Amino acid sequence: VTKAQAPAATKAAADGVLTCVFAVCRTGDPAALARAPGHRGGGSVGLLELGGPLRAVTQDVPSSLFAEDALRSRLEDSAELEACVRTHHAVVTAAAAAGPVVPLPLATLFTEAGRAREALTGKRPQFTAVLDRVEGCAEWAVKVYTTQHGAGPTGSDPAEHTGSGRAYLTRVRERERDRHARQDAALTSAARVHEAVSRLAVDSVRRRPHGTGITGRDRVQVMNGAYLVTHARTAEMTSLVTAMRDDPEHGLDIEATGPWAPYSFTGGASL
Amino acid sequence: MTYRDISAATPYGTAPVTTSLADILERVLDKGIVIAGDIKIDLLDIELLTIRLRLFISSVETARKAGIDWWETDPALSSRAARRAVDEENQQLRERVAELERKHEQELDASPAPRRARREVSR
Repeated sequence: VTKAQAPAATKAAADGVLTCVFAVCRTGDPAALARAPGHRGGGSVGLLELGGPLRAVTQDVPSSLFAEDALRSRLEDSAELEACVRTHHAVVTAAAAAGPVVPLPLATLFTEAGRAREALTGKRPQFTAVLDRVEGCAEWAVKVYTTQHGAGPTGSDPAEHTGSGRAYLTRVRERERDRHARQDAALTSAARVHEAVSRLAVDSVRRRPHGTGITGRDRVQVMNGAYLVTHARTAEMTSLVTAMRDDPEHGLDIEATGPWAPYSFTGGASL
Repeated sequence: MTYRDISAATPYGTAPVTTSLADILERVLDKGIVIAGDIKIDLLDIELLTIRLRLFISSVETARKAGIDWWETDPALSSRAARRAVDEENQQLRERVAELERKHEQELDASPAPRRARREVSR
């Protein structure tokens, strides 16, 4: 039944090499890419012509590490997964230094360069549209966290603990109300941050906030935004973020990182 | 504080090793233009990735809609002092309930009271 797939699989196994694609760009800088580390055990990172000015950023990688079973078991390993993800990111970042890029998903693999070219040229109009949109821009990440100050426990006065059940219920209700009020205030401030940064951006996306499994139990992330900002407005954006962070009225911890390759603006649904 | 001085960032400068893995993962795994490669691994089948992805999702996102406490680490409840206060309150409530029950039973024992009175007591 699987005879049709057999030749390609056999060939890959025999050659021991697969083609990994990281991103699509225009022209590119071969020298800079050749210096990028690339995946372990692979060849040097290079460019694959896709017709016209379009190029794919590719690397030959050993099938002993990247064939389906091998890759699957490596991605189940924490250290291997992290290395793989960081390498992908490093190559995409190196490509982005030379001009607009469309980052591709992790582990986009073909049995040979010809197959990669065939599949990618079929998407040329989409690539061109995204490249036009992100040209001259970078992605910036802005995250908002609540700060811990103030808001001590209510009803901690021992004298308040005696009394009727009704008094107890009142205290519980007040505590709930206070908490909701604080949460609403934090969300409103976060939305204001998002709106302010969005006004300076070409495009923006609100990602799912990270859970406390990532941020730590003492930091609640209430906003996780990604913004596509032109290089010309970057300074304006950074001073805006700094001003909002220092504004005591917001009472929020705001973190901004970048520039990122435009991962969040390649036309797909956000995570 | 993890705030990075963004004004000092160089365009696409050497990505620091300290760049949050979570930030990279959520971007790298994001579905952009998906090219069906020859080797297909559904990344969501990778258990480790699924666990990591679950970590992204904040309680802020969904829990409140369901009416549960979405603020896992509410400042008012996060300190030990606050937990102690809740524990104390619980203890006091238990004592109060026990006291009321005792009283209730005593009154029932003392008087084969008409129904109405009983209801008064049990309120």
